[in-house]
Amino acid sequence: MSKKQLYWKGEDELLRTKEFLASQKNEFNEALPLDEVFSENNLGLNSNRRDFLKFFGFSVAAVSLAACNTTPVRNIVPYLVKPEEITPGNANFYNSTCGACSTACGVTVKTREGRPIKVDGNINSPISHGGLCATGQASILGLYDTERLDGPKSVNNKNVGKSDWEELDKTVLGRLNEINASGGKIAIVTNTIHSPSSLAVINDFKAKFTGATHITYDAVSYSGILLANKNAFGKQVIPSYNFDKANLVVSFAADFLGTWISPVEFTKAWSARRKVDGISKSDKVLKTVMFESNLSLTGTNADYRFPMKSSNEAVYVTSLYNAIAQMAGQTQLAMSRSGELAGGAIKNAAQMLWKEKGNSMVISGSNDANIQAVINGINLMLNNYGSTIDLDNHSNQYKGIDSDMAQFATDLSNGAYQGVIFWNTNPVYSSPMSDQIVAGLKKVKLSVSFAGTADETAVHCHYIAPDNHYLESWNDAQPKHGVYQLTQPTISEVFNTRQAQTSLLTWAGMANKPEVDPFANKGIYSQKETASVYYMYIKALWAANGVSSDEAFNKALHDGVLIEPAKPSMVPAFQIVLGDLVPALDKATGAKDDIDLVLYQNISVKDGSLSNNPWLQETPDPMSKVTWDNYVSLPKALAEARGIQNGDMVNISLGKTSLKAMPVFVQPGQSNGTIGLAVGYGRTGKIGEKGAFESIGKNAYPFLRLNNGTYSTVSSGVKIEKIDGNYELAQTQTHHSIEGRDIVRETTLGEIKENPKAGNDKPSAHLYTLWDTKDYKKDGAPNHHWAMAIDLNACTGCGSCVVSCSIENNVPVVGRAEVRRRREMHWMRIDRYFTFENINNTDYSEGLAFQKDNEGKHVTKEKGLKELDKIEKAKKVSDFTHWENVKVVHQPMMCQHCGQAPCETVCPVLATTHSSEGLNQMTYNRCIGTKYCANNCPYKVRRFNWFRYNDNDRFDFHFNNDLGKMVINPDVTVRTRGVMEKCSMCVQSIQAGKIKAKRERRTLSDGEVKTACQRSCPANAIVFGDVNDENSEVHKLFKNERSYRVLEEINTQTAVKYLVKVRDTEKVEA
Amino acid sequence: MVKHLFKKNLKVKSIVFSIVCLFNLSFLAQNSFAAEAAKLSDDAIAGEKLFKANCVSCHAMDRKVIGPALQDVHTRRTDEWLVKWIRNNEKLRASGDADAVAIFNEYNGVAMNNFENLDETQVASIITYFKEWTPPAPVVDIGGPAEPKVNFYSDSTLYILLFLIVILVVVLLVLRRTKNSLKNSLKQIEKTEEITSEPTAMQEKMAYYKKRINPTILKLAIGAVVLGGLATYGYYFGVTEVAVQQGYAPTQPIKYSHKLHAGDLKIDCKYCHSTVEYSKQASIPSSNTCMNCHKAVDLRDRYNGEVSPEIKKLYAAMDYDADERTFGDNPKPVRWIRIHNLPDHAQFDHSMHVNGAELTCQTCHGPIQEMEVVEQFSTLQMGWCINCHRERKIDVENNPYYEKLHAKIKKEKEDKSSSYAKYFTKDGKIDMSPAQNGALECSKCHY
Repeated sequence: MSKKQLYWKGEDELLRTKEFLASQKNEFNEALPLDEVFSENNLGLNSNRRDFLKFFGFSVAAVSLAACNTTPVRNIVPYLVKPEEITPGNANFYNSTCGACSTACGVTVKTREGRPIKVDGNINSPISHGGLCATGQASILGLYDTERLDGPKSVNNKNVGKSDWEELDKTVLGRLNEINASGGKIAIVTNTIHSPSSLAVINDFKAKFTGATHITYDAVSYSGILLANKNAFGKQVIPSYNFDKANLVVSFAADFLGTWISPVEFTKAWSARRKVDGISKSDKVLKTVMFESNLSLTGTNADYRFPMKSSNEAVYVTSLYNAIAQMAGQTQLAMSRSGELAGGAIKNAAQMLWKEKGNSMVISGSNDANIQAVINGINLMLNNYGSTIDLDNHSNQYKGIDSDMAQFATDLSNGAYQGVIFWNTNPVYSSPMSDQIVAGLKKVKLSVSFAGTADETAVHCHYIAPDNHYLESWNDAQPKHGVYQLTQPTISEVFNTRQAQTSLLTWAGMANKPEVDPFANKGIYSQKETASVYYMYIKALWAANGVSSDEAFNKALHDGVLIEPAKPSMVPAFQIVLGDLVPALDKATGAKDDIDLVLYQNISVKDGSLSNNPWLQETPDPMSKVTWDNYVSLPKALAEARGIQNGDMVNISLGKTSLKAMPVFVQPGQSNGTIGLAVGYGRTGKIGEKGAFESIGKNAYPFLRLNNGTYSTVSSGVKIEKIDGNYELAQTQTHHSIEGRDIVRETTLGEIKENPKAGNDKPSAHLYTLWDTKDYKKDGAPNHHWAMAIDLNACTGCGSCVVSCSIENNVPVVGRAEVRRRREMHWMRIDRYFTFENINNTDYSEGLAFQKDNEGKHVTKEKGLKELDKIEKAKKVSDFTHWENVKVVHQPMMCQHCGQAPCETVCPVLATTHSSEGLNQMTYNRCIGTKYCANNCPYKVRRFNWFRYNDNDRFDFHFNNDLGKMVINPDVTVRTRGVMEKCSMCVQSIQAGKIKAKRERRTLSDGEVKTACQRSCPANAIVFGDVNDENSEVHKLFKNERSYRVLEEINTQTAVKYLVKVRDTEKVEA
Repeated sequence: MVKHLFKKNLKVKSIVFSIVCLFNLSFLAQNSFAAEAAKLSDDAIAGEKLFKANCVSCHAMDRKVIGPALQDVHTRRTDEWLVKWIRNNEKLRASGDADAVAIFNEYNGVAMNNFENLDETQVASIITYFKEWTPPAPVVDIGGPAEPKVNFYSDSTLYILLFLIVILVVVLLVLRRTKNSLKNSLKQIEKTEEITSEPTAMQEKMAYYKKRINPTILKLAIGAVVLGGLATYGYYFGVTEVAVQQGYAPTQPIKYSHKLHAGDLKIDCKYCHSTVEYSKQASIPSSNTCMNCHKAVDLRDRYNGEVSPEIKKLYAAMDYDADERTFGDNPKPVRWIRIHNLPDHAQFDHSMHVNGAELTCQTCHGPIQEMEVVEQFSTLQMGWCINCHRERKIDVENNPYYEKLHAKIKKEKEDKSSSYAKYFTKDGKIDMSPAQNGALECSKCHY
């Protein structure tokens, strides 16, 4: 890269606002929060000097009194009968299936002394391939949620009262029989179920109660694809998308790396096809082209990203169709409008696609069946069916059809149903027809919800029969044709809950207790008899389908998966004439000047079913770095035109639907003429009533509009109105500034094919030596040298590692208010750098680097910033349309474990020291909290514990209750107030691995010790190992031409190296 | 909780101890007389040995265990029949002996083992033992060494007393001073009227010193000495006493004796602490481990046919009915008191030390096989850990884990300037302590 690109982290940094400049001068820009310390625990004192002395005196006295006490008696309670498989102090691992969403990734659950403490991807699963998304990681906390119902409940006018299973079964069965006798209709409303056994249970239930129907409803649905495939090919399925076989993907707002259908599976395949090491000129990597409105995760990682107005998607898609049809010699579609994007993007895409005929893929995130039908037409012309798109080995992960649900809601409000059962679904919250459903529920004879918490829908039902958490359940899954996975309990029921399948079987009269209970006298697995009912049912069903022996079943249980050989993938016959769809497509196009509202799913919170999970709420959005809220995402041009700034609030309205007082975030990369809004926020009911979870964001689902039988996430003609008042979003964005330094490196594929060192061939900087060089060979035991390599080219920035790290290392959740004060505790963050495409030739090449004076010398920082300020002010701030064109680089950042660490030399108490294995050690019990180390850290990766985050009502998250504490990793200390902490490179795993090797008297093999971030990464971007071991993967990556150290010029000799990002674009122009 | 006696209480301790000893002696004397009452012939003694070696797992003299009680079996059966039955009851039953078949059926077809390894004289001596056996005299619970150490004073009482004494002394001083000043003022009033009396010799001496020593400096000096003394004591106390529980020997809910099990009976430590070789934790054995032996060993012979009171607690925990030999469904786990408490931030791995470094349990836990009541033997202070890590040696040569390290060190053996030179003794052998391999680094134990 010959031209210096300017990277920036937030708009205030780019525009050099006053506040930003002020904050730059003072790194810790707040005074010590003494008043907060003293008002803690509601002492309610306005402190002054006297109070301080009083407190001082009191604490001295209190400490000395406390010291007089003898150590408390601690008990050890051993097992009465120790289960054979449990060794106190050692972890057990069980393969299972994630229940966070219906994508059903295979997972490996880590349990300690019988309680699950970590969920990682199962390497055997073709869905997860060993990776797992942030949502899946965090779903484990749902097991230890104090808001879970402790048993069956009867609900009377939204008041949740006690019940018991016997009474519930009796009443429910009575009413079901009554309805059945009168020929009434019963609806079982579920999310997508692809578990063969669960579906069989529903069929058994339907056989007993003949009026029962099964309605599948997904809050975020893929009805468009399903219906398009039904119309075009006669198969109402989502195909398998084989990213590993494609050389080119053109996506219309399908965020396949973030939230679309099966993101972990797609990220694994995508990143595997992005490998550039040792690439020859003829080799191809997977090129990604993205057309979208909101800046999505896939958009940030695409080689080419083109902003578009989503309401015009039909026009662009048909234009692409026509361009390809022209090349293929087929009839074009006669749309009333044709569209092209800046720089001839559609035409170029068509040409690239034509070149990659048979090895390409066109996908769309639209939920419009007509648009999807055109997409199908494009893929058919490109011969992609049978190679990259596979309809025969299709996905089962989403099956909901929106019109079914809309019909159900209408029928229900008309009193057509007499009984309703809700299972794993919450339509009162997530359906735009929630009013009709609530009204209809008042008319039914029986309504039951299987919800684990008293959610929005459950409080309108007669009974809540709480289902087990997936970590307490038996189940199976068939996420894809030919892929079977099993779910097994890793703990017995925490509360008096019962699996939904068992409940249905009980009511259907089929819950026969097995003659020999397989779980009797099985230690911790001796579940209640109800658990074995469904287990026996699954086994019987599997036996009837070929898995008859115990060995075969147990092998599937052990592996977590059973994979049947794939069917040959055929080219389907096209059964519709696309020309017939043209009028509908024309109609679906929005007016030119109207503003589009584009709803999307946040990477962590997703559809909102797990929105009471503090880990997910505190995970920053990869693009905006906002936590704990949803917000209206505005393009800069629109914000400037309306005089709206970050921190302002707006009312937005669409027809009769409106949201008042929404916070605003000016999002670089948001397409002009569109605004974005995340669904999944604004949960009410019990979840909303409790302290910290009070109103997290606002519910955007009512903005969904039913079009042609599908809910459209895109609506044109939204009105925005600025209102008085401010709202500060809790952002992690500008906490850490880049100051024009060479931190991220990027190059293009063309360059790297010619020169493997491209983008990384900077003249080596002058290395200042402040410290005596540490030579591991000379100065310590040269056994191991732990190191990490992070491939920026693979990393998508999804944030899975951040959550994984927090779970593994007991990182506390601090809440919205503390994030606003820049006190988030994440040991690992993902820095996101924006850069412009330079479309309108704005020259940022001088960047924010320190200016040089007339003699070419660097001026002081303050002077330089002042100069820059002048330049920026002189510039006319009129044209901001280019803000929709940004490129993004994600960079995971954690302690770099410097060989010559600046933090170590300034610690007055030697609390942070260096190990002979290359680790920068942090010793909490030595730390006195001077924060010198954080000040001196060039990477800003140290975190200070401002408060005691456990057992503290001000931080009412899982550390504040006994149940939530069950998820704490017993191998890692829970830090207390006043100490510094940071990434330890999972030293607990290193030690465990070393000890295991030592006692087994063998060498430690490469890959045996894995850090939490590495285990979770869906993109395999993180590699950890012993760089002293010449055969280790990390050793090879350290030798890689693309590898570099961040801030190499200060000679910190980090143990973390990054690999240059490579985009498949033309060379960056000179 | 019973805490170890403070050193200053030694006198009290010794007095208590001697009183306890006196009592014990008198009881022991009584007991020895009781034992003499049941004396057996030599033949019966041989029989008793054989009985204990072969029969007690199924039979007791005075009660039904798995097989019938045997105390008057010689009156029910002939000796000849008994010998036949004991040596090969299967054959006896096969021969159609009515009594033999009846017994077999009475015990639901549970066959007794054959003992053909015993010859007829041996079996006869067992029968002699049956004949001469008398029920043991009631055992008097003599207390004695099984009783836990009694501690009359806890540390805090002592501190409170000391504190009160200090306060009293201060009050006394203040009162004395007030008295003196009152006296002085009285004198002054009197002085105006009377001629001052002649100074005494003592007063002269005082005046002499007062002239030479500045009173402020004197006060400061005394203050400094007192403060210095206190600081020294504080430091010593802080280093050796705060949070150090060496000698901590709480009374456990069941008076389990390591001396008996590990010392006298020589049961391997790892039989009960079975996870010590492959887990962080040595683990308190689960109660079913105890039942492996104690299903049969209930010491009824020593407690008048009753189950030993301590074993009874175990049975209660397991909800085990000793007579019916069945388990109930209401077990209650035993709440043992933890003796070795490491702070949460110190991560100690048993498997590394026992399996990896091949240390014995006694290295840290002391002569556990001699402890009636287990006490904390080591200080468990960090300095204690560090010492060991400095003094011990790593077996670099024989553990393949250190293969590469060993190769590297060996390669530079001859090079005296190499930093590896320090890993060799004078005679060229590798001599490397854990400390030299980084075992003093913080995050080896703290994370």
